[in-house]
Amino acid sequence: MIRVELPAHLRTLARVGREVTVEVEGAVTVSSVLDALEARYPTLRGTIRDHTSRHRRPFIRFFADGEDLSLASPEEPLPASVAQGREPLLVIGAIAGG
Amino acid sequence: MSLTNEEILRYSRHLIMPEVALAGQEKLAAARVLCIGAGGLGSPVALYLAAAGVGTLGIVDFDVVDSTNLQRQVIHTTADVGRPKVDSAVEKIRAINPHVDVKPFRTALSSGNALEIFRDFDLVVDGTDNFATRYLVNDACVLSAIPYVYASVFRFEGQASVFATADGPCYRCLYPEPPPPGMVPSCAEGGVLGVLPGLLGVVQATEAIKLILGTGDPLVGRLLLVDALSMRFREVRIKRNPDCPVCGSSPTVRELIDYEQFCGIRGEESYQGTAVPEISPEELKQLIDGGSDLLVLDVREPHEREICDIGGTLIPIDDLPARVHELDSGRDIVAYCKSGVRSARAVEFLQSIGFRRVRNLSGGINAWAERIDPKMPRY
Repeated sequence: MIRVELPAHLRTLARVGREVTVEVEGAVTVSSVLDALEARYPTLRGTIRDHTSRHRRPFIRFFADGEDLSLASPEEPLPASVAQGREPLLVIGAIAGG
Repeated sequence: MSLTNEEILRYSRHLIMPEVALAGQEKLAAARVLCIGAGGLGSPVALYLAAAGVGTLGIVDFDVVDSTNLQRQVIHTTADVGRPKVDSAVEKIRAINPHVDVKPFRTALSSGNALEIFRDFDLVVDGTDNFATRYLVNDACVLSAIPYVYASVFRFEGQASVFATADGPCYRCLYPEPPPPGMVPSCAEGGVLGVLPGLLGVVQATEAIKLILGTGDPLVGRLLLVDALSMRFREVRIKRNPDCPVCGSSPTVRELIDYEQFCGIRGEESYQGTAVPEISPEELKQLIDGGSDLLVLDVREPHEREICDIGGTLIPIDDLPARVHELDSGRDIVAYCKSGVRSARAVEFLQSIGFRRVRNLSGGINAWAERIDPKMPRY
C-alpha cells in the first residue's frame, strides 16, 4: 500500500481526503504510483502530469522523506519509507492566497 | 543609530536576550522592510514588525477595506470598511509604535514600479493574493538582490520559505510556471480559514526579523508546509535550479516581464475577457420575469446553496461531467456560481461537448444580490 498526499485543489477534484492509498505492482516509482493513482481517480489525469508529454506540471512538485524528487527520473525507485507505506509521497501544488 | 530611553524600555524583552541585545535592536531600527499587501498575511506581518521595532516599514496595497476582509485581515477594523488599506494600516502601525517610519504606497505593484519601490528596502515580505504578483515580486527581488520572504495560504493550508538569497533557490526554482488560470482557486473562490494567514504571516515576520538580526537558521532552501486541520508542520528541502530563468547560471529573464500574460491573460480571479457568452443579472431577471423557459444551473456546492440561491438545478461544477445527461442541450441554460469564475468553466465545458445555448451569469450570485435582490446575503 502506497500513501499519497494530494494538494487541496486536486482533493476537491477527485473528491477525496488529504491522503489516498494505491496499490502498485512491481517497482514503486513516481511513475508507477501516479499511474495507479490516475487509474483509481481518472479525474486526476492531466492535472499532475501533462496529458500528452506525461511530464510533471511545473506548478506541482513531489517530495518524500523531506527530499525533493521532482527533478529526478520518475522511473527511479521511491525511498523504502514510501514503498513500505510508512511515509506518504507528497504531491505539492502552488497556491497563491494571501 | 542609538535608542532613546523610551525605546530601551519598550524593547526590553528583546534587549535582555543575547541573540538580539542592543546591537540587534539597532539593526531592527535601521532595517527597511517592504510588505506587499496589507491583507491576510500582510496584517500580522506589519503589526509584528512594527511592534518589534523595524525602523522603516513600506506597505504596498491598492485596495480598499471590504467587510469580507475582516475575518482575517486583523490590521483593519469594522470602521475601516471603505478606506484605503494603506491608510488603515499606517494608522494602526503608528498607534502600535510611533518610532516606525511607515511608507505607504497606494498602488498596485507592477513591472513599471516594482524595481523603483524595492530600491529603498532591504527585504521584501510578500502577502499578495495572486500568482502574477508573486512572480513579479520574486523576479524583482532576484534582480534587486533582496531576500524574498514568502508565504501563501489556501483553505486550511499554507506554504512558507525564504527565496532570492545569495545561496538559496527562488520562487521560480520551486514553481517555474503558474497553474493555468482557474485550475487552482483563489481564496475568494475556495475560502481560507481566517487564522491561517495569521499563522503563516507570523512565520514570515519571524523570518524577516531573523534575516535582519542575522541569527538562527532562515527558511532558505526549505519549504514549510502547514496544515491547520491536522496542525502538522512539515518541512521539505528545495534546491536552487541551475537552469532557473531568473536566478540560474545563465538567466534569460533579465528584466521584469508582463506577469499578467505570463500567468494567463485572464488572471486567476476572473474569466473576464474570455469568449464565454455572458448574461447580466438584469437580463436574467427580465427573462425569468417574462416566463422564459430557460434552465438556471447552479454549479456551486450544496453548502453554498444553503446561504442563498436564485433557484434552478444544483450540479456542483466537479459533478458536471458525470451528471451532464440531466441537462437538456436544446434549452437555454444560464449557469451561475458565487462570482462567475466556476460557472464560466462550466459554460466552457458544456460548449466543448456541444451545448450551444449556454451562458454565464456575469458576476455570479453576488452580482445578482447586489443589483437585483439587495435583501439576499452576499458572501
